[in-house]
Amino acid sequence: MCKECGCGETNGNTRLQFTVEGYTEELAKDVEKALFGLPGVLFVHIHAHDGETTVDYAPKKTKLMDILGVFQKRGLEAQL
Amino acid sequence: MEIKVIKNILGENDRFAAENMALFKDKNVFVVNFMGSPGAGKTSVLERTMEKLGSTLRMAVIEGDLFTSKDADRIDKYGVPVIQINTAGGCHLDANMVQKTAKDIDLDALDLLVIENVGNLVCPAEFALGEDARAVVLSVTEGDDKPMKYPLMFKESEIALINKIDLAPYCNFDRKSAKEDIEMLHPGIVVQEVSCTTGEGIDAWCDWLKAGVAKKKGQ
Repeated sequence: MCKECGCGETNGNTRLQFTVEGYTEELAKDVEKALFGLPGVLFVHIHAHDGETTVDYAPKKTKLMDILGVFQKRGLEAQL
Repeated sequence: MEIKVIKNILGENDRFAAENMALFKDKNVFVVNFMGSPGAGKTSVLERTMEKLGSTLRMAVIEGDLFTSKDADRIDKYGVPVIQINTAGGCHLDANMVQKTAKDIDLDALDLLVIENVGNLVCPAEFALGEDARAVVLSVTEGDDKPMKYPLMFKESEIALINKIDLAPYCNFDRKSAKEDIEMLHPGIVVQEVSCTTGEGIDAWCDWLKAGVAKKKGQ
């Protein structure tokens, strides 16, 4: 983010990449929406065809279990 | 060996923000951190707000700007108390700046304090000021892609005003897409289309402010 004030260096976000099995196009859109709705999630990118799912989030605001819960709730298996 | 001590800037800011919040709570003043890009129309929305609420709510404005007092001069014309903070190039207001400024405002004589942040869709979202709520102004001339490009601002705001809505047909602005993106980023956020030219949506925005004031006062 902004290098002028350094806020991008201290916002504490982290980026994880999952491989998710079982996506359909609809499920991928549903997961994207659910992930974006979590606190601190600023970026989600899903390749439905190979399951590559990238999530940029603030661990202070959302726990990893909450992210995994989005996949599990939809019967999807996600691996880091 | 020299050990570097790195100061947590945001931690320090949060301490000042907590003190501000306690002060505003004690004084029962509803405080809004008003954010958005340069040119989104933040000051114009405030002008329309003062026209609507000037006689019903006791209001003051803190104006954040890099260098000038142009926005404060506009607010001053409405007879509303206004204090200018010049950040001298700083891209956002911080809680310490607000704390110093708040000492010059008669909070006992206020219902509503609006802090218009520096025009910037990035940094202000990361710095709490002690506010009750955050409002972001997005104008249609900026494009409907901005919520997803600057997600934190929309995640951190309780209300998003889509301004200059009268220009939407001429700006290739997809209202549905912008609204859906904002609501996806922040489920439960209030999205209100407004126009400072036609007055569309200004009443709803003012009702939102009045509800915030009433809630703060426990009514």
